[in-house]
Parts: sequence; C-alpha cells; structure tokens
Amino acid sequence: MGTLKVFNPVAKPVETRLQPAPRPADLRGKRIGLYWNLKAGGDVALQRTKELLAERFPDARFSFYRGDVGFTMRHLTAREADRIAREVDAVIGTTSD
Amino acid sequence: MTLLERRGIPTVSYTAAGFVQDARRSAVTFGLPELPIAVVPTPFTNQPPERIRAMVEGAIGQVVAGLTRPLPMAEPPREGVVLLEEEWLTFTGEDQLAAAREMNERFLSYGWGDGLPLVPPTEQAIEEMLRGTRRGPDDVVAVLEPGFGLATVKKIAANAVMAGCRPEHLPVVLAAVQCLAEPKIYLRNKAMSTGPHAPLLWVNGPIRRRIGLNSGVCALGPGACSFANTVIGRAVRLCMMNIGHTYPGVSDMDTIGSPLKYSACVAENEEASPWPPYHVEHGFDRETSTLTLLFVYGICELHDFQSTEPERLTEVFATAALNVAQVPTGLWLIGRRADPRYGTEEKEHHCLFICPEHAEVFRRAGWEKGHIRRALHRRARLPFRLLMLNKEPQALATAHPELTWLWESPETLVPVLEDAECYDIVVVGGAAGRGAFFWGAGEPVTKAIEE
Repeated sequence: MGTLKVFNPVAKPVETRLQPAPRPADLRGKRIGLYWNLKAGGDVALQRTKELLAERFPDARFSFYRGDVGFTMRHLTAREADRIAREVDAVIGTTSD
Repeated sequence: MTLLERRGIPTVSYTAAGFVQDARRSAVTFGLPELPIAVVPTPFTNQPPERIRAMVEGAIGQVVAGLTRPLPMAEPPREGVVLLEEEWLTFTGEDQLAAAREMNERFLSYGWGDGLPLVPPTEQAIEEMLRGTRRGPDDVVAVLEPGFGLATVKKIAANAVMAGCRPEHLPVVLAAVQCLAEPKIYLRNKAMSTGPHAPLLWVNGPIRRRIGLNSGVCALGPGACSFANTVIGRAVRLCMMNIGHTYPGVSDMDTIGSPLKYSACVAENEEASPWPPYHVEHGFDRETSTLTLLFVYGICELHDFQSTEPERLTEVFATAALNVAQVPTGLWLIGRRADPRYGTEEKEHHCLFICPEHAEVFRRAGWEKGHIRRALHRRARLPFRLLMLNKEPQALATAHPELTWLWESPETLVPVLEDAECYDIVVVGGAAGRGAFFWGAGEPVTKAIEE
C-alpha cells in the first residue's frame, strides 16, 4: 500500500467582509444612476432600462455615468464613486460580461 | 459595485449567464457575496440593439428586486474549482506511483493544475526546493489577485515543485510573483479577462547561465534545451492559478485560451546582442540578474532572410504591429489600462525578440534600439477608420475628445501604439533571420532576482 502526503498548493485568501447597502422599499421618487463601463451594448441596455423603470416609477429620476478611468472597460475611482453616491439613491451597472 | 455599496448605495449589475459563477466568486472575493446581479442570456457585446432590449425586458424584474428587496444569503460559488482548508493532503494507492496517480487525478478534479501531470509537492520536495532561496518559508512575497491569495515562499515553492522546477529556479519564480503583484501590472485585469493574456518572462544577468536558461535555439521551447525556461514559466502559471485563484471558467474567463499560457520564458541572448542588455537599458547593473514580465496576447514571427538594410527590416517588422484584431492595436485612442484603486495607468507595449542575425544588420548600420523604436513607430500606422472598427466610438470621445475630428478624416494614418517607447526589444534566438513579435497587454515590469 502506498501513501503520499503532499502540501496543499492553494493559498488562503485574505478575506474581506462588507455589509450591503440598505435597500429602499421601492424606487418611487428615487434618483437612479445608470453606470456603463463602456463594454459594447451596455448603453443600449441602460437606455432600455431607463425606459422600463420610468414606466413603473414615473417620478424616478435618472443619471448616466461612465467610469472615469480605463480603456475598453472603464472603472470608477473612489472620487467618482463619492460623486455618484452624492447624486443618486441606487445604481444599475453594466456590463459584468 | 462594492465601491458604491460601501457608500450606502444599493446596486445591481447585468451579468451574462456564462459569467454568473465568475461574478459570484468576484463578489465573495470583494467581501460582498450577496451582491445582486440581473442575469441575461448572453453578453450584450456583438448583439443587435433589439436583442439587447429584449434581454433587458426579460431581466427588469431582477433589477428592481436587486435594488429593493432584502438580499438573500448568497449561494457559495460552486463550479469549476474545489478549495480545501487542509494544509496537508494524503493520497493512497497500491504503491507510491499509484498514490501519485491518485493525487494527480484528484488535483485535476479540483481544478488545481494546468492539465499536465504534476510533481507531488511532498514535504521532502518542498524542503529541497526551499534551499533555492534564503527567504523563510512563511515570508509573504505578495498577495495575488484576483483571489487575494497569500503568496508565501512555501506556497510558491509547492507550485514550483509541481511544475518540475529545481531549487535553483525558485529565485526566478519568486521574482515573477513579485512582478505579478506590482500594482502597475493590474493583474486582476489580465488574469480574469476574456482575452488570452499570458505572462511572457525574460531573464537577464548572470543567473541565466548558472541555472541553464536558454536564450538561443528553441528558447521558447519545446525540448530539453529549454527545460529551465519551460518549468519556470509553468510554475508562474501554477502560482497564478493556485495562489491568485485564476482558475479557467471560474475567474479566468478567457474565451479560447492560449498555448502561451502554459509557459513562456526565455533568457536574453546578451552575448549575441550588440546593445546593452534589456536590464542595463532599464537601469540595472549588468551583474544584477533580473526578471521582466509582460503580459502578451499572442505571438507571430519576424521572418526576413532578405533584408540587409535596417530601414527595410523595420518596414517588415512594423507589419506585425498592423493587426487590428489584436486588442492593443490603436487601443490608446480609447484610453489606457488603469487600476482605479492605485491610480496606475499603462500604455500598451509590444515586445520584439530580435534574433542575432537581425541585430547584426542594425549594428552594421550603427542603429541603437532607439533608432529601431522610432522607425517602428513611424511605420506602424493604420487609417483611423480601420483602427476604430472594433472599438466603442463613445470611448474615443471620452478618452480623447480632441481627436474626434478624425471621424471627418477617417483615412488619416494613426500610430498603432502611443509612442516609440512602447516597443520593447530583447535579443533572443539562434542563427537565421527569424525573431518573434508579441502583442503586449500593458507595460512590462522588471524585478531584481534575489539569489
């Protein structure tokens, strides 16, 4: 009978835990951010999203955002995230592929 | 999205079905496993607008739910890789060989390898490997993305054992891991991409000859002559997988893959080069050994048996850069790779492995590397219209509003890279006029190798 004992080559991750943001009961009267990371088609998706949400929540307001750094995909810096957080109550993002 | 959730803003993101596990694993890594997603059947890319609108209509209920309902406990990501807590794992069989086969079968089922047989990382093998460095086994070399794995010397050594490395190879692997962790490399962007980003490594300095690295015939493999090259490159990939948690189909979403991802490591042929070696060019002493890492998309030849003049040779070389289907071609028009967490930016670089024969053509004409770079930058241009065929037009307006006039003059020739310094030159290869060209992803990073 042969036995082989080997070292686990997989690293432990440095773990992080965040609390999710509280959710409102609905989107009536809310300011909604539509964030596009510049991946193709995302702008079309967010425009249709706006149209559909505006039908359901006529008093919601919408703002479009793009990442402030990047190339084929643009990302949010902390500064831009601060700005968005001041201006909206919720964000819909695209695209995580 | 976690940036916004931390600021008290509820979010939800559209995610294609094929990327759900990837998204869930990323959410765990960033500390918010409950992060809601709205799943659509396919990516929005390459879809006609009416199809995109239909997908959004199908997912709008998920969008509203993600923003307004209490978030359920998240299911742990379940596909593609098994992560075990135990420090030591035991396998049995009829004999030791059978036990080793069992280990390989299990590791394959866990997703822990590159698909090739692995050398068992036994206690003895790791102790022997650790003789290759003066660093302690529990020293933390880096934290590797995308999984934020702790890259201790011992974990790196274990992956080096599995790759088939010898102790004298370990310092090079350690330096490569340091390169991977450099913020400018933006590892997360390359490791998790749908593209075939592969780490190309080149070594300079005295260590090349001491450990048998190949800088000549078949330097990129295969063969016994490139044994050191091959196992070092392989160890780096295994570290990316098992320490950085870059697992295919789980976090590495490369649509097709690439043979370069198995291993791509060479030594510069400093002895055949008429110029200062790469590392000296970049500020290191000649007697310091270094490892340079550049992520690349792919390789093609630099073949020319005819040219004896440098202008003609660079004209041939420049054609290799004129491939619009390669991401870096003209990418600068729509911005730069940028990691928002560290404020880093990268220009796209290409790398030329110039063979000694071609280096001699340049030397005879008195050309230094700078001459070659400037000539390449002059010649490697394409019409704006072509460069923008596969790029988001709005990205040009965002990154370079001052260049939007080019839409009115679409045949204007535009350089494919941002400037002449974006061409890296390394002398590699055997006799005969054939070198190699790599389309790069971002910028190279060089680290001294601690022996």
